Amino acid sequence: MDPVLMGLIAGSAVSIGAYTVLIGDNPISKITEHLYTGILGGYILATNWDFINKNAITKIQTGQYVYIIALILSLMLFTRLKPEWLWVSRYPVALTVGIGLGLAMRTTVIADFVGQIRATILPLNSINNIVMIVGSITSAAYFVFTRSYTGIYKYINLTGRLFLLVAFGVAYGQTASFRFELVIGRLVEMLRPEVAMYTYVLIILVAVVLYFGYKTKRIEWYSAK
Amino acid sequence: MSLIKKLLDLDQRIIFLVLFVALAFPILNPVMLPMAIQDYSIQAFEFADSIPDGSIVIIEGGNTAATYPQCGPGLIAQIVHLLRKDVKLVFFSIGAEQQVWTQTAIDTAISKLPAGVPAENGVNWVNLGYIPGGESATAALANNIRSVVAKDYFGTPVDEIPLMKDVNDATAFAALFWWGGSEGSIPYGVRQFVGPFGIPMSGSCTTNEVPNYSPYISAGQLQGLFGGVRGSAEYEYLLKLPGPALGQAMATNFGGLWWLILVAVGNILYFILRTRGEA
Repeated sequence: MDPVLMGLIAGSAVSIGAYTVLIGDNPISKITEHLYTGILGGYILATNWDFINKNAITKIQTGQYVYIIALILSLMLFTRLKPEWLWVSRYPVALTVGIGLGLAMRTTVIADFVGQIRATILPLNSINNIVMIVGSITSAAYFVFTRSYTGIYKYINLTGRLFLLVAFGVAYGQTASFRFELVIGRLVEMLRPEVAMYTYVLIILVAVVLYFGYKTKRIEWYSAK
Repeated sequence: MSLIKKLLDLDQRIIFLVLFVALAFPILNPVMLPMAIQDYSIQAFEFADSIPDGSIVIIEGGNTAATYPQCGPGLIAQIVHLLRKDVKLVFFSIGAEQQVWTQTAIDTAISKLPAGVPAENGVNWVNLGYIPGGESATAALANNIRSVVAKDYFGTPVDEIPLMKDVNDATAFAALFWWGGSEGSIPYGVRQFVGPFGIPMSGSCTTNEVPNYSPYISAGQLQGLFGGVRGSAEYEYLLKLPGPALGQAMATNFGGLWWLILVAVGNILYFILRTRGEA
């Protein structure tokens, strides 16, 4: 059999197994979950080992001994497996977090703070600009908790809350749409003409196994109530 | 129990089943609904179109198995678009799984290229592969590529790749295209390429992340954004390169319609119960 087709059928089987969790936790969904975690864990380990090989060990072999320090720091991370040596692993962690924070903070002020404020300083010559300015100011004002919501501030607060609710609504709609797209992505592969028949057979097979599992009470029926 | 309460307590499995049918139906029976192109997509398309022929650009491929069906078709369209303009492409990924999907997108795009368009590995494009370290790695890459990459995805030393001859930092690139999937990594590009080096950037992300990054477009830090499967479908449409995303976008419409009905009916029923004092 063509290896690509085999991959697609395996993908279809795993997807069906994963989707059975919608009926309730069951052995098929658990097997899928463990399979996914195991395979992904193994793959990431192998890929990272390949990266170390290509980018650290090769460089050390060519005389760039500074990379030995990186390797030692990496190995120090494993000391956390023994509780008495845990403190050793804190040094590479501190170094990584510190460098990461430093690099991000270097440009965060300009990119995420000054740039965003500058983008709201707009001329009041279009509806879009007015909405942007009013929305930004009132939404920020909503988070001022040091004064009571009375007088004009009550209306500013209310307007800010409305803008925030609209923003949350948009975020929710986009999130729901993203989840649909995840399912559609799988369905497109599962319902390809050359795979569809296998998918239907697998669905029936899984349905039969689950039916007997629930019927014989070997699998506990999930109730949301 | 009243009918309203029964409907409000509808078993979630029924909701999932109807959703499954609503999503599968347009895939099995393709239908086309009218589609308006979003401004963000037009901006991103025009930005890519404005890249001078023959320049070098850098592309982050951040799609995984989960997000590739949504954003992959858009990335394929982008590769075809740029290679047709003889733009040289340097790819990298900040995730282990993502590098494989990036290579899949490159291979698929090359198979879609018109005859005669050059697409030689090492000359017209290069995949630097996986670079671990998130934002720190992005910063290091922008400052000195060879400090983080010794060999490309296929194991070829970077110094032996013709395309990489005069390329060693962000200043070598005319643009950055960040196909971040659901990595949440677009700010890395904004902070490490756009801010310090002034490299213009556009991107793509999954639908749920679009609201997070739209402020970057308003601020001019992003030149445009393709969001999820709809963004990919719009790229295919604008490039006149029909692909899988257009069909998927239609299926999303059906799912969205079902969800909209549920939200509307749920709220109306809850409102009725509340006016009756039963909620």
